[in-house]
Amino acid sequence: MIGRKSAAILLVALSTALPPPARGAEDVITIGACQPITGRFAFAGVNLNAAFQDFVAYANEKGLVKGKKLVYVFEDSGYDTDRALACFKRLMAQYSPAIMYGESTGLGKAIAPELTSRYKVLYGSASFSSELADPKTHPYSFVSGPTYSDQFGILLEYIARNKGAARPKVAFFYSDTEFGKDPIAFGRKRAAELGIDLVAEIVTKVGAVDVTSEVLQLKKTQPDYVIFQGYVLAPIPEVIRAARDFGLKSRFMGTFWSMDRTVIDKLGKDADGYMGVNAYAYYYEDSAPGIAAMRAYNQKVHPDEKYRPSSYIQGWFTGMVYVEAINRVLAAKKPVTGDNLAAALDSIKDWDTGGVTGKVTFVDHKAGVGRVYRANTEKGQFEPASDWIYVK
Amino acid sequence: MIIGNYKQTYASDEAVFRTPTVRWWMAALGIAVIAFPFVAGDYLLYLANLIGVLALAALGLNVLIGFTGQVSLGHAAFMGVGAYATAILATRLGAPFWISVPAGGLAACGAGMVVGVPSLRIKGLYLAIATVAAQVIFEWVFTNWTPVTGGIRGINVPPARILGVPLADDLRLYFLIQGVVAVHYLLASNLRRSRWGRAFVAVRDRDIAAEIVGVNIFQTKILAFMVSSYYAGVAGGLWVYFMKVVTPENFPLSLSIQYLAIVVVGGLGSIPGTILGTVFMTLVPEWLKLGTGLAGAAWPDAGSYLFPLRDVAFGSLIVVFLIFEPHGLIEMWNRLKRFFALWPFEK
Repeated sequence: MIGRKSAAILLVALSTALPPPARGAEDVITIGACQPITGRFAFAGVNLNAAFQDFVAYANEKGLVKGKKLVYVFEDSGYDTDRALACFKRLMAQYSPAIMYGESTGLGKAIAPELTSRYKVLYGSASFSSELADPKTHPYSFVSGPTYSDQFGILLEYIARNKGAARPKVAFFYSDTEFGKDPIAFGRKRAAELGIDLVAEIVTKVGAVDVTSEVLQLKKTQPDYVIFQGYVLAPIPEVIRAARDFGLKSRFMGTFWSMDRTVIDKLGKDADGYMGVNAYAYYYEDSAPGIAAMRAYNQKVHPDEKYRPSSYIQGWFTGMVYVEAINRVLAAKKPVTGDNLAAALDSIKDWDTGGVTGKVTFVDHKAGVGRVYRANTEKGQFEPASDWIYVK
Repeated sequence: MIIGNYKQTYASDEAVFRTPTVRWWMAALGIAVIAFPFVAGDYLLYLANLIGVLALAALGLNVLIGFTGQVSLGHAAFMGVGAYATAILATRLGAPFWISVPAGGLAACGAGMVVGVPSLRIKGLYLAIATVAAQVIFEWVFTNWTPVTGGIRGINVPPARILGVPLADDLRLYFLIQGVVAVHYLLASNLRRSRWGRAFVAVRDRDIAAEIVGVNIFQTKILAFMVSSYYAGVAGGLWVYFMKVVTPENFPLSLSIQYLAIVVVGGLGSIPGTILGTVFMTLVPEWLKLGTGLAGAAWPDAGSYLFPLRDVAFGSLIVVFLIFEPHGLIEMWNRLKRFFALWPFEK
């Protein structure tokens, strides 16, 4: 009978819901994470999670935190704010970690009131939203690198430094989402300050495939540079292809999430000249000892992994920030609490990350540093087009 | 063992809870609901609140789809209208929650009235597409009417207050949310037995026959839309105080589809079924997550692969059980009740 069967199923399900006994010891520091391993952000979530697992194992192996062992606990949050909040609360209840990591801007905003009033743990996230980099409203949150506004600042700075005789003309091409609109107001202001003419602003849906009318608008305004924001891949390749077909001479630029190798893979030869800002060095760069150490560890533990995308580097770097903050707290002989960790974060100045990124100084809970890279289609790689550029 | 249910008065015939056994069980349920937050941790409390808010919105959709037979794929948008109206009243005018939440419901009710108008001329899939249009339009308005909605960044909302006490945590909010849900649950149960409720069902079963017996179809359909979106609006208002922030990305089309799934899985036209459907749709993914989490702990390398399997398992579970129990969870529940009503004397 179905009734009895369903009761049995319910009982089995209930029994799996019982949490395992909580671990807890003086010499253990727990890092909890709600990772978007499924859902539409899974392309990055899987790498972020792998990076945290690897970095925590690496840090324990190398003894990066003296006398303490790091423990990493994670759960899938599916890039859904409701589920992510449930994940956050469950991990807090079960493990009481001192540090948490979250998937999205949405979670960062939704958890902020309780993070400040109750949980008080250091909170890093996959988001580069300017809104989370505000110690007044988000005293425990930080952004693992430059915010989207900073990234626009870096690109505009690069354009201003490399301009010819005429005033450069720029177009912003962004999606109709929080991710897309985040840096636009700042970008307008900064462009005006740097003497750059903003000739067009084009807003589309994410993944919009028919881009003819948008490209015609670009043709009409003839910008020297087009900066994409709020996309991961589509419609960037479509726009670049259509622009080449229309004979446009504009250079196309992207920010962090549209600066992975997949853009070059997708566009092939058409990616020639595509540029953008990355907050971190690439996995294959030889000049950075921090990246070399990451590669060496990967070769040892995951010999089959020949490439790690930028999201992996982001996760690894966030782990480095956690360890740096913990070590500063321990050096001051203070307990590892969210308040002390947040204060330690504020004290990070000109920190050498071994070339994983530039020298890191946390101002307003963000590190305003990034570098402009250019696609090399022969090698299928991005190569540095500038040194590390610092913005406030 | 109960062998019959003899009623001597009209009042007992009209009662919502008809037998002493039911009343005892409802009292026990009431006590359990009141005691729950004092024994549950943060995580379970959060889930209980989430279920409360989702159930309230789903109840509204069940009035529209289950009672009246009008398909809507714009339910999340109505919830959004309620959420924004509540947030705007709470932040701009400093309105207390007992004004802003019902006002959110009324705002959504107005929106539902407008969106319901095409239902007179179109039915079934055509109406579903018309409501998708409403969903898209409202999402666009939330995103682009920046001076009012705060645009893409949305609105941060201060906690609700009762007599100056802020309902900032899940424990305090629990009583507000479950209280509102209980009241609306009773309203929906009674609505079904009223003249209007019977008119809804008549329109669902055969609209021409309903019109012949004197039901004003247009009024009835519009009213169903209004009631449905009022529920969604109130749920949206509670949601705002629960999440403390509202952004356009909170009310996507996928949420509308989730509500549809809740109503279908729970049992079309059944009020308790809606609650069961919400519990199922919220808790089963969480349990599966815990299950895959434990499996992932046993095989750390497999963790990343197990998580996506959870969605596959959840999807399959819904399909399997719709095949075996097309009348929804409530039918399973009723079978279980019938089994115990005769136990231990059944074969």
